[in-house]
Amino acid sequence: MSKGIPYDEALKRYQHDKEHTLPEMNEILRDYHPDYYPDSLVKLQVGINKGDLCHRQLAEMLQADARIDEADLAGTSITETNVLVIGGGGAGSAAALTAARNGASVILATKLRLGDSNTVMAEGGIQASIESGDTPQAHYDDTLKAGHNKANKKLVARMVMDAPDVIRWLIQEGMQFDQNEFGDLLTRRPGGASANRIVYYRDYTGLEMMRVLRESVSNSNIEVWDHSPVVELLSSETGHCAGAVIYSVEERTYKMIKAQAVILATGGIGRMHINGFPTTNHFGATGDGLILAYRLGAKLRDLDSFQYHPTGVAYPSHLAGSLITEGVRSAGVQLLNALGERFVDELKPRDYISAAILRECAEGRGVVVDDQTVGVWLDTPNMELREPGLMKQRFPKLFHLAKRGNLDPTKKPILVYPALHYQNGGVVIDENGHSTIPGLYCVGEVSGGIHGRNRIMGNALLEIISFGRRAGLQAAQNLSARGHKKSGIEHLTKLRRELSRANMPMDVKSPMLFPACANFELE
Amino acid sequence: MSEKLVNVTINGKKISAPASLSAVQAFWHAGYTRVEGIGCMEGVCGSCRVMVRRVNKKEVRMQLGCQTFIEEGMQIIFLAFPAPTHHAYQLSDMKNSWDVHSQFHKTFPETIDCRVCGGCTQSCPKDIEVQRGVELAAKGKFREAGELFIECVMCNLCMTACPEHIAPNHVGLFCRRVMAYFHLRPANLITRLEELRQGEMDVRTDN
Amino acid sequence: MDVLNQVILHENSRVGPDLEAWLQVGGEGLQIALQDATVLIPLIKEAGLRGLGGSGFPTHYKWAAVAEQKHSNEKYLICNGNEDEPGTFKDRILLEETPNQLIEGAMIAAVALRINHIVFYINPDLEDAIANIQRAIKQWKVTELYFNVSTHLQQPLEFSVLPASGHYIGGEETAAIETVENKFPFPRSKPPYPAENGVHGCPTLINNIETLCHIPHIVKNGAKWYQDLGIGEACGTKIYSLSGDILSPGAYELPMGTSLDELINLYGGGMLLNKKFKAVFTGGPSNTILTPKDLDVPLDFDSVAARHSNLGTGAMIVISEGTGIVKRVAEYVGFFAHSSCGQCPSCKTGTYYIAMLLNKIDMGLGRRIDLDALIHLCEILPGSGRCPLINGAVKVLESSLYHFMGEYEQSLID
Repeated sequence: MSKGIPYDEALKRYQHDKEHTLPEMNEILRDYHPDYYPDSLVKLQVGINKGDLCHRQLAEMLQADARIDEADLAGTSITETNVLVIGGGGAGSAAALTAARNGASVILATKLRLGDSNTVMAEGGIQASIESGDTPQAHYDDTLKAGHNKANKKLVARMVMDAPDVIRWLIQEGMQFDQNEFGDLLTRRPGGASANRIVYYRDYTGLEMMRVLRESVSNSNIEVWDHSPVVELLSSETGHCAGAVIYSVEERTYKMIKAQAVILATGGIGRMHINGFPTTNHFGATGDGLILAYRLGAKLRDLDSFQYHPTGVAYPSHLAGSLITEGVRSAGVQLLNALGERFVDELKPRDYISAAILRECAEGRGVVVDDQTVGVWLDTPNMELREPGLMKQRFPKLFHLAKRGNLDPTKKPILVYPALHYQNGGVVIDENGHSTIPGLYCVGEVSGGIHGRNRIMGNALLEIISFGRRAGLQAAQNLSARGHKKSGIEHLTKLRRELSRANMPMDVKSPMLFPACANFELE
Repeated sequence: MSEKLVNVTINGKKISAPASLSAVQAFWHAGYTRVEGIGCMEGVCGSCRVMVRRVNKKEVRMQLGCQTFIEEGMQIIFLAFPAPTHHAYQLSDMKNSWDVHSQFHKTFPETIDCRVCGGCTQSCPKDIEVQRGVELAAKGKFREAGELFIECVMCNLCMTACPEHIAPNHVGLFCRRVMAYFHLRPANLITRLEELRQGEMDVRTDN
Repeated sequence: MDVLNQVILHENSRVGPDLEAWLQVGGEGLQIALQDATVLIPLIKEAGLRGLGGSGFPTHYKWAAVAEQKHSNEKYLICNGNEDEPGTFKDRILLEETPNQLIEGAMIAAVALRINHIVFYINPDLEDAIANIQRAIKQWKVTELYFNVSTHLQQPLEFSVLPASGHYIGGEETAAIETVENKFPFPRSKPPYPAENGVHGCPTLINNIETLCHIPHIVKNGAKWYQDLGIGEACGTKIYSLSGDILSPGAYELPMGTSLDELINLYGGGMLLNKKFKAVFTGGPSNTILTPKDLDVPLDFDSVAARHSNLGTGAMIVISEGTGIVKRVAEYVGFFAHSSCGQCPSCKTGTYYIAMLLNKIDMGLGRRIDLDALIHLCEILPGSGRCPLINGAVKVLESSLYHFMGEYEQSLID
């Protein structure tokens, strides 16, 4: 990675008060976005999505052997509940709270602890068309357009219509939002949108949301199982999802939870480090939910589409992958290459900007540090020049991050590079988060179809609450008087047959559960 | 980049690792397993609490493991403990904002026992003025108290540090929540909700 | 000669608050002190009296440090009766049954160091003790001896009785000073030491009740007499608070240096139900452990220290085979966790965390990594607090790991 301009030299060329014109951009996605890297895609050979394009690393997990078989379940403890929620982030919490408030008994099982999630790290904010010049229709149009018209229109329509009520619901849970002096919610404009639509709390929107939801869950009758990753879903004799097998990290033992409905809210795949990119995701984001749902026969979609956040920190290297919120660009901070030139409209959708950054770096206009790190400037000093003090007040987390890297964003631009941020696709769902498998709901990042092939800022926090509540309600309202007669892992036999027929390597096991760096092995 | 190795002890294990690593990363780097008490790795989930003693220092500090970069001779212990709060309340149980003060003291009766030892403030890895927050909350100054806890990541270190079992972080969160629950009434949001209720804002999906 | 209860627990000393009864045998020490106050510190030094509240620190050092503060007209003596640690119950007996012996000892100290305020600082649960001290003081204040002491001091000697706050930590010297100043018993950082800067900034002496009770007898009978009471190098007598799985628990005043074997089997009447002796927790500001191979140890400060343990307050909590060490240690650390004042997060959270890990191991849920953490905590935590409480909590853990590592390891899952 020696191509580019050395850090110190680039810093000399950089001028914080320069005006810029933008270069032409044709075919930039196809040429530079990592989704289009040659050899990164394969066709799935087993399962309901057989023949579909899928990223190589994800395909390997989807087509791997299960971690358990019948013998592992002999003598395991069995707990029964109406609704089992898997995942302790915002989506799981919203679903669990709604199901419990509608009369269901609920267990929430999570791999880490309740709240240790991508939700808590979300900085930018949440979209809701609440300004007078804005409409749900505009929100809908922007979402569809940013997703290259590949999103499921019904899902998007539901979500944008839910949005204002999602904000109301969050306020009633005790979540704060930034307001102007008249008490109106402040809004800012997400990249790729036609209006100011992001509501937020500083650059701690996710933290504020998650601590409130965690407190709500803790103060409810929901039973929370921390440190309990799911290793397999349970199926009934009728092909319903009927619960899950969890592995208790504390007790080092498998346990079965039988449920009439399962809500999968396991989040994304960042820790798979697709295409070798650093990730902004939390420690547990290993894509387990996709694998579990797929084995049960749930249809997936857009498995070749991932979001790379344009502004992950590139340097200093110990902060690599740390996110700088898009809110910073919304507020007017620009991107510059090593020549000190602006090269992209910073308010374009994320995939576009990431591709533009990758192009600058590929064509030798990136800033190179120590021959191994490359990136472009995030021009924070210029912003400071235009609106002194504003950044520090609006983006405290950015300043904390900078302090850890011994940087002063008001004086020196920050070196950024795209980081793996989000899984655009996922499990196919309907308007209530229901998958194609009876009794299995999927909400949040694990689901697919809402964002098409590129997610616009602020729709993730919206989606998790909108569809979390929908799935929670639906699950609670559709409990049958009797549970399932049988629940087990017979569906794995079918999987293993298919894997064998397709000559898949049976020594690969999934789900991943924990990133390899943590040296974890099942006992 | 030259990666200088430093020697540290983490949970009793002697480890040599590059100085750019956090306590969490260094432990993994040495080949040890750790999955409990790891979360966002960015200092906002509060799961990776550690006790740190630096070489030739008397003081033992409470920090977050993902934000603690190793230094020569550092001694680090992970603090993985469940910390369920025993302070339960429902916002909907409060009739109106006049009711908050009495509900607060019902839920957090220990706050009046605060012995002003300062342990909570010293424990906070986010440098929050925790004790002052508790004092303000006890006086019914919920807005001012809540503002102090903006950066609270609910790591619960102040809770284990409190000899009177006050759970200061939950006090802070209570203050923040009641402010939103009773006092956040944004006109732009309410206007839009009313428009939606009237059916004026439907989305056309056929274009 | 019977060596049990020879001096401070002698029946002649245990006359309750009746001053006249005490003066049948006592009072002489104070009279001697008034004749020549300058001989007192050398006398205490020669006698080899050490702090019997747990530290074992030579008493004459503290006395000399306060005596040196000649600039100050105001000096305090805090008679420390906060006794609250598990298994220690000697001060209670002394306060209830020998208040006059204590008061005379305190007055001798006042004469020696020109102290004009004596504070009897007593655990608030000891209501009888507080009442008896008050009754005794009332009688002393109308005696000629009291008048002579005030004359010697050239100002009236003031007595006060202060029930402590009920916190264990209030027994720590500087925390006691805070209490006397009507504040929460938060230990202060040292230096400055109480001898220079104590109650309201005045030079302050803090002695344990048992230590002070010896003073009248030493002054009356001489240093040589006191030295000879002890066995071997050790001087004087010590009250051992014997409890646990023993036939006859109780407080026994015996020559300093009596062997553990003799204490348990001769005075304690042997193990309850003839069970096998497993260990004894020596109590005090830090609990340590002695095991069957230590039955021969002379129970004096230096001999016990040579066995990696502390004599402490002389509390001996005996446990028999079948009692889990981990559980017991968890209880002790739990006590420290509860008692930690909160000022130092490493102490409060550290003790909490040790107790949690111990309970986990005791419940059969512990793993090697938990044990490793405990061992590491013994290295990290000592010295991190402004008072020694955290050191005490670590000491009991460390001592149990030293003697019973096998039992810990057997309790682990992996």
